[in-house]
Amino acid sequence: MSQYLIVFAQAHEEFRLPELLSVAELHHFDLAVPDDLDVTRPFAVFTLDKEEHARLLARRCILIKSVYEFYARGTTYEELHQQNKAARPKWEKYTPDTSFKFVVNGYNQSIPKARQREVIENFSYMDFLGKIDLKTPEVTMGCFEEYRDTVGNTRHKHEGDGNFREAFFGRLLEEGTARSLIKKFDVKKRLYFGNTSMEAEISLLMANQTLASPGKVIYDPFVGTGSMAYTTAHFGALVFGSDIDGRQMRGKGGISNISDKLLDSVLTDAEQRPGIMRAAAQYGVEQRVIDLCTFDVTQNPWRCGEMFDAIITDPPYGVRAGAKRLGRKKERGMPAVPSQPRPDDQPYIPPTKPYELADLAADLVVLARYLLKPGGRLVFFLPTVTDEYREVDINTMLCGGMEVIANSLQDFGAWGRRLVTIRKTTCESFPPPTFESHAEEGEVEGAHIPAHKDFRGKYFQGFKKEFGTPVEAERTQDGG
Amino acid sequence: MVRLITHNLLACHVKRCTTNNFPLQLKDVQLALREAEFNADFLRGFMPRLEWTALVQAACQVGDDSLPLEAPEMVDDEFLKNLHHVLLEIHIEEGAMVCPNCQHVYPISNGIPNMLLAENEIG
Ligand SMILES: C[S@@+](CC[C@H](N)C(=O)[O-])C[C@H]1O[C@@H](n2cnc3c(N)ncnc32)[C@H](O)[C@@H]1O
Ligand SMILES: [Zn+2]
Repeated sequence: MSQYLIVFAQAHEEFRLPELLSVAELHHFDLAVPDDLDVTRPFAVFTLDKEEHARLLARRCILIKSVYEFYARGTTYEELHQQNKAARPKWEKYTPDTSFKFVVNGYNQSIPKARQREVIENFSYMDFLGKIDLKTPEVTMGCFEEYRDTVGNTRHKHEGDGNFREAFFGRLLEEGTARSLIKKFDVKKRLYFGNTSMEAEISLLMANQTLASPGKVIYDPFVGTGSMAYTTAHFGALVFGSDIDGRQMRGKGGISNISDKLLDSVLTDAEQRPGIMRAAAQYGVEQRVIDLCTFDVTQNPWRCGEMFDAIITDPPYGVRAGAKRLGRKKERGMPAVPSQPRPDDQPYIPPTKPYELADLAADLVVLARYLLKPGGRLVFFLPTVTDEYREVDINTMLCGGMEVIANSLQDFGAWGRRLVTIRKTTCESFPPPTFESHAEEGEVEGAHIPAHKDFRGKYFQGFKKEFGTPVEAERTQDGG
Repeated sequence: MVRLITHNLLACHVKRCTTNNFPLQLKDVQLALREAEFNADFLRGFMPRLEWTALVQAACQVGDDSLPLEAPEMVDDEFLKNLHHVLLEIHIEEGAMVCPNCQHVYPISNGIPNMLLAENEIG
């Protein structure tokens, strides 16, 4: 058992712990959460059974910048050095003739070169006799000063200890290599994408929440342009996708944005292939995209349940890619119009009725309970109005045998979206869901109305209670 | 695409079409063969979900008779290899799947099956 210092990337705080726990579960090891863990801080010390576990985290967690073997921490350097001296047995072996370097980093404040040198000199009692090697040292010792805010970052060269919250010290074990995937899956460099595409970092975090790995089968019922199909397939899973609108998956033909030369180099029987398959080929995961189908998930053709290890999806919020389902709004009294099955690659003006987000979320959970294998996971986004959100909102959409195991907010200010991870805890089989209309008008007296109810209306109202001027809508990150 | 694994998992879902609505019949299919990664654990794990007879029939229709008529109790490497090929490497690119009961035609174009129903077909 050893302690490891995790240095997090400065993004998506609420996703940090769920990701660590998911990756630990994926690799079948325990990750004890320290009592004093504060995920808003960029440093955390974990106790792990094996060094290999720390390495596995560093190789798979998108939000890990680096992992250190932990030696010492302190709210003052005095405290830190005292601890570090006590930790001598851990670092002693590197002192006789291992090449090394020291790095000193500040969080929220940068530390002047001169003071960095001072900080390093104060570790001289460690007595490293090997040669200093700044390029390819055998060991890198890291010292981090965590400041609460950015105030006071112009510092005099010979200033003493900064007024940090805490400092940490350890030996670099592994850089967080999974972070580079954010570049690889950059939407702008993708051969096929649309205005519903999910940003790379979030698509990767979602994939980690599904425990994607070779041999698993994962389904996105609102696959759109396939953003999460690529990341889950990258981690080895086989993927199914479906969407009510075939054009989302195929593309509208004519590929803008890339040069013909690049096209030729990647594509073989080009143009005709669905956009999702072109992008999948770009990422080398084409063969893992098992199939894409056009259908309304509320009228789905799945023959049986308990097929998927995970369902990963960004449901239509009604903001950009509106939630819709087949059917007419006022169905009663309407004569059944005999109509032909329609082609899925033509402009689609179907008889659809609006699909309320709260109903959709509840339906999705019931569908997932049917389609997931026992222990499988449903990972999806739920948009919500920040001020109005209550913990109980999530419970309004749960059903027996489905348990929330993570719920992380991505905050855009007036609104946000929550990445919800639900585990199917039951081994019972369930009949396919019916997607019956939810109580249309007049909610059950006293029933809790979740803040994501009528999200679209609130979005276009600018989240004002009444006729406010709409706030400038998030342009790039509304995801739907 | 429309690999035989998918064909084995899709049934006609037209309202009130609940018997004899599987397997969908393959019509005028154009095939493509593409190599896929072999994963024995996946194959073993997925076998209980398959409708075996339907799979064997579909495979025969597209010219592959490597599978036994009954799902074997004991699976060996040779069998898994054949199963892998049938499930994942045979793609239907064009054509249609037709419901044996209500005759609904689900067209396949560029590998994507259109499983959308017409207005009078939904429940
Ligand atoms: C927010 S987008 C998902 C975007 C996707 N993650 C991507 O990377 O592009 C929601 C998708 O749901 C589809 N959709 C809406 N209602 C549907 C329904 N009832 N059944 C299936 N798909 C539906 C829309 O066509 C849209 O592509
Ligand atoms: Zn039918």
